[in-house]
Amino acid sequence: MSQNANNDNIRTGDKKNSSSATTKRSEINNNSDSTVIKVKSVIPRRRQDILKWYGWGYKDSMFQLDGDVAYFTGNRYLIAGKSLPHLQNWAYENFKVDLKKPPKIPEMPTSFPETRLPADIRQELEGIASVSVDGMDRLIRAHGQTLKDISDLRGNKFPRIPDAVIWPESHEQVEQIVKCASKHGFVIIPFGGGTSVSGAVTCPPKEQRPIVVLDTSDMNSILWLDKEQLLARVQAGIIGQDLEREMRARGFTVGHEPDSYEFSTLGGWVATRASGMKKNTYGNIEDLIVQTKVVTARGVLEKSCRVPRISCGPEFEHIVMGSEGCLGVVTEVTLKIRPLPPVVQYGSLVFPDWDSGVQFEREVARQRLQPSSIRLMDNEQFRFGQALKTESSWGGVFLDGLKRIYITRIKGFDPTKLCVVTLLMEGTAEDVAEREKKLNSIAAQFGGIPAGAENGERGYTLTFVIAYLRDVAMEYGIVAESFETSVPWDRTAALCSRVKRRIRDECAARGIQHYLISCRLTQTYDAGCCIYFYFAHNSEKFIDPVATYEEIEEAARDEIIASGGSISHHHGVGKLRKKWYTDTVSEPGRQLLLAAKRALDPDNIFALRNMALDEYDGDQEDIGIKSKL
Amino acid sequence: MKMSEVVEFRDILLARKMESGIFQFMTRAWHPLRTFNMDKYYSPQELKGMVLDSVYLDSFIEAETARNGGCKVKLKKEVMNYLEEMCLDKKMHVIRWMGIAFLKISFMMKIGIFVNEPAVLKLRSSMKTNPILFLPTHRSYADFCLMTYLCYHYDIDLPAVAAGMDFYSMAVVGKAMRETGAFYIRRTLAGDHLYAATLKQYVRTLVSKYPSPIEFFLEGTRSRSNKSLPPKYGMLSMSLVPLFAREVSDITIVPVNLSYDRLMEHGLFAYEHVGVPKPKESTGGLLKSLYSLNDHYGNIYINIGTPLSVKSYLNNIPNTNEMLKPVDLQQLTPEQFKQVQSVANRVIILQQKCTVATISNLLALVLMSSLIENRLLSLDEVLSQVEWMITVLRTLGATVFENDVRGNVNRILVVHSKMVKLDKERRLRLLSGTLMDVSRDVQKKMKGHILKAETMATAIPIIQLQLYVNPILHYLVPPAIVLLIVLRRPITKDELSSDYHQIRKLLRHEFFHIEETEEKTLAESIDYCIQNNIIASVDGQLVPGSDERLQFLLKWSIWPALTTLSLAADITTEQVNCGHKQALKLVQERAERSGCHPYCLSLESIGNCLQGLVLGRALIKQKDTADTIYQLSPEVMEKCQHLINTVQPKFKVAFDVSNSVILDNTHVLCRL
Repeated sequence: MSQNANNDNIRTGDKKNSSSATTKRSEINNNSDSTVIKVKSVIPRRRQDILKWYGWGYKDSMFQLDGDVAYFTGNRYLIAGKSLPHLQNWAYENFKVDLKKPPKIPEMPTSFPETRLPADIRQELEGIASVSVDGMDRLIRAHGQTLKDISDLRGNKFPRIPDAVIWPESHEQVEQIVKCASKHGFVIIPFGGGTSVSGAVTCPPKEQRPIVVLDTSDMNSILWLDKEQLLARVQAGIIGQDLEREMRARGFTVGHEPDSYEFSTLGGWVATRASGMKKNTYGNIEDLIVQTKVVTARGVLEKSCRVPRISCGPEFEHIVMGSEGCLGVVTEVTLKIRPLPPVVQYGSLVFPDWDSGVQFEREVARQRLQPSSIRLMDNEQFRFGQALKTESSWGGVFLDGLKRIYITRIKGFDPTKLCVVTLLMEGTAEDVAEREKKLNSIAAQFGGIPAGAENGERGYTLTFVIAYLRDVAMEYGIVAESFETSVPWDRTAALCSRVKRRIRDECAARGIQHYLISCRLTQTYDAGCCIYFYFAHNSEKFIDPVATYEEIEEAARDEIIASGGSISHHHGVGKLRKKWYTDTVSEPGRQLLLAAKRALDPDNIFALRNMALDEYDGDQEDIGIKSKL
Repeated sequence: MKMSEVVEFRDILLARKMESGIFQFMTRAWHPLRTFNMDKYYSPQELKGMVLDSVYLDSFIEAETARNGGCKVKLKKEVMNYLEEMCLDKKMHVIRWMGIAFLKISFMMKIGIFVNEPAVLKLRSSMKTNPILFLPTHRSYADFCLMTYLCYHYDIDLPAVAAGMDFYSMAVVGKAMRETGAFYIRRTLAGDHLYAATLKQYVRTLVSKYPSPIEFFLEGTRSRSNKSLPPKYGMLSMSLVPLFAREVSDITIVPVNLSYDRLMEHGLFAYEHVGVPKPKESTGGLLKSLYSLNDHYGNIYINIGTPLSVKSYLNNIPNTNEMLKPVDLQQLTPEQFKQVQSVANRVIILQQKCTVATISNLLALVLMSSLIENRLLSLDEVLSQVEWMITVLRTLGATVFENDVRGNVNRILVVHSKMVKLDKERRLRLLSGTLMDVSRDVQKKMKGHILKAETMATAIPIIQLQLYVNPILHYLVPPAIVLLIVLRRPITKDELSSDYHQIRKLLRHEFFHIEETEEKTLAESIDYCIQNNIIASVDGQLVPGSDERLQFLLKWSIWPALTTLSLAADITTEQVNCGHKQALKLVQERAERSGCHPYCLSLESIGNCLQGLVLGRALIKQKDTADTIYQLSPEVMEKCQHLINTVQPKFKVAFDVSNSVILDNTHVLCRL
């Protein structure tokens, strides 16, 4: 409850941005004839002032289940402040949680490991940009957002946290910092929004050298904006919502909206090979990027020309994309922008079952008629969506009733089987109307019927709220996590049912009774789609619930891969999925990665140890041997 | 130094004086050559639109509003207003009427416009491939009229000329100039970033999209001293951006030298030198001056220099990261700006090399010489001296277009009848001015020390005369310095070198030159001096030579500049810390008191010497809020003073009416 009172004070978010860091501000590119747009970010340098230090998202936004009725706090999201009358019931039905118990909210830690950064190096770094060795500043940049990260964070159990944080403001400063790291042999972890769900950004526990987190959040200027070419050059530390807000204010959009886009950064998207909800219109990160500029330990990697395509041997942009911080720091990105669509319209379709939904999605992809977003939710998710409905007016209830009667009685859909497709359509009014007509007619072929814009809209507005669920779940002893994969069309249906089956088996073997496994199809391509799984279980009786969960997820991933799915569609490998890396890329592929590492970072400055780089020690060994001799 | 090649000059007004007349010529069908071909040609209005909608200005406004708030629409409106003020136009009927007016006035002034026609024809034949910049010397307001007329005459598209805002505000004339291709620029861009951005974009758009020659004055302003000023880099850097941004394949620079027998402004300039400010330009003033234009103004030589391909001059323009930006946003890198500076400096030297020594220059040299010697010359002596001077200058590499010395001297005596005169005994005299009572109003506006009426009476004509000596000095100064150093004591080439460079540096602002070519200039000067018996080389030592006549010429040529330098050094030493304005006044006052060469009263020259002392580190320049402060660096200054004093020629000359060469004309009293 005290937490609650606290939140209200901070909601305004204009608390002084006073970091413990030394204040050295070199106003970059601020000469008044420059075309640089300096962006004021929603998130201050002291992230903990606005963001929840122990979980996801804003401090003031969270689910509250312990009152008479569940509700979502704050005022940032559409459902915020509204009561959620069905949620408690749903939680009890699925997980048998005891909502009478108060939520377990951790105390903010007060003691931290000593910084290992020698004073002289710190001084040298302070000459380049702002530096902090404050414990909280370091702790909140020690991790991403995996279940393990959050569990370690809540228990203050990290075996290793960074020794300092530095906030460069420009590419040039990053170059200096990397040079400094090469000279003194400390480790740099590039840090953007801290939303990684692969363990990529998590501090490697065994690292003996000092670790400096290079927080890119002060590198958030729009260096130039060319409305004619529809291009923007942006510093890589800009967060998604800032970028999108600035573009929209000028009549444009980048259109890259991963579910984390409120907090994740452009550089982070590049490093993870991110995918956005609206990729059908705007493309995935690899389609959006024209050029990246990367500071490596061996110098700056950048193409010498700004061209739409090039045939010049292997494309090194693709070595940077997905490099997960191990090869260098992305400092600047040239990316495509689009004019804002005049019309944005939501829609939804109901299908009698999952298979017909998948067939519909496949047909839409075959005809390449995907609107900006098209997603298929399974029955469990559909029902969970219903549980998140806010209190509505009498008229609304009546209409809902009518719809339900129409779908279940007249059309004869089984309420425990039906699935929903949500649609997000963008374009001119004619384009949208025409597209909707076509989609409806394809849906009819597979037994689907339109279910209104409102259902669709709710689906999309819930997108950003769902991430908050894991925190409240944890507070009531439920571990919850999502994982995703990509799969060819011909193996999609089998993969979904095999993975669900495997999880049920794993749960049964462990005596887990109360759990939820659900999936949705979130992206479609010519050759396949992306499937997202949600898995949660009541872990009250487990000593180490995270380990149990991880075992089950590992089994699920084995099953995915056995079913012809991939290691990841857009979350990346990180440390969490390194087990499957070599099999995925082949042994020569692994050697290629190591060769890239050796070429760009021989001394392992960027020692994040992701993918197959966990054992990589570069020339360190050689140096060790030499010094022994 | 090699003998100058023979250049063919033709009077392009000659044909207009025949019966075909002015009107027919100015109304003929005119199909000018463009500087380059395009698939689509843009009107001046379309160009304006392109600038207004450019990515650069859009980005600039976006960034500006993000920085300081403000309304984008309002800023765009502001840009539009700037463009309205700035942009050129082209109206054929105005061009024709202006041409008629130009010819009428030219006939009134009885001028001849001599052009090295082969060079123009060669230029014409090589056009059509890339933008061309005409970079003429700037000595007179007549410069751009002449250039524009020259283009009309040779069927070259009229140049887009960068004009100062002084003309913008002139009634009728301002508009007419715009319609004949002038675009207006403000002198200072400091403070108004939006204006600077607009201008930048306008200029680069003109260069890359408007297939007419672009013309501006590298020196930035009319040189009041009639010799080269150090270049200003702003316009040239804006103009060369399209080359660095790879929008055009090359940019051709055509250096042009305009040499006048008589500068319309020489009187005003002389007054400006001593500190009387220039009057504001106005149409009324122009009309008034028309009256005084009904006189003889002699010949004007337009020497079109060899075109310089910027691309080949820079040899290699490496790709930079700027190429990754949108083309409109590409800016010069610091290295590229250095290259632009190098081009600018080079062009000034090329302009100097195009100098045509006119009969006025020759006569001025002879008369100044006679003044300093205090020896009257008969007309015959004058003629033989002029002949001698021609040989000297040609040996030094100057272009002298002179085939009838006697005829031309007689002609020029008419042109300069207010300055020089043959007295009853047919000896050449310099006319003194009248004793003028300077009114209080004018005194208030005076920039320097208030000079005595007696000083002004002789100083003004002598400074005027010096204006015609000045354009020749860049030939004389290097050998003069060599001579002065050798006159001190026998010396080796190596020892000479350091003193030479030090003096050149101290006079860098007074006599513009490029540092990089100084070694070569020195070597050539030594060779010249040895070959012409000015100095001799004996056992590896350089000693004075036997040609006293040449020695005298060289000595007096640099004398005023060295005197000013010495005075400036003395004053700043005494003052220790001295404001710029104060230093100017004090040096002027001392110059007046010690009866130096009147050119030492020149504020411009004093300023140049002060800057030279800063360059030589004898003074340290500090920017105060209002004024520049010079702080003495005693040890360095002492060395400088020692050097100056030991080489300084010792002449004792009376520059007042007691000088036999000066014809006293002071009896008339008038007011200024």
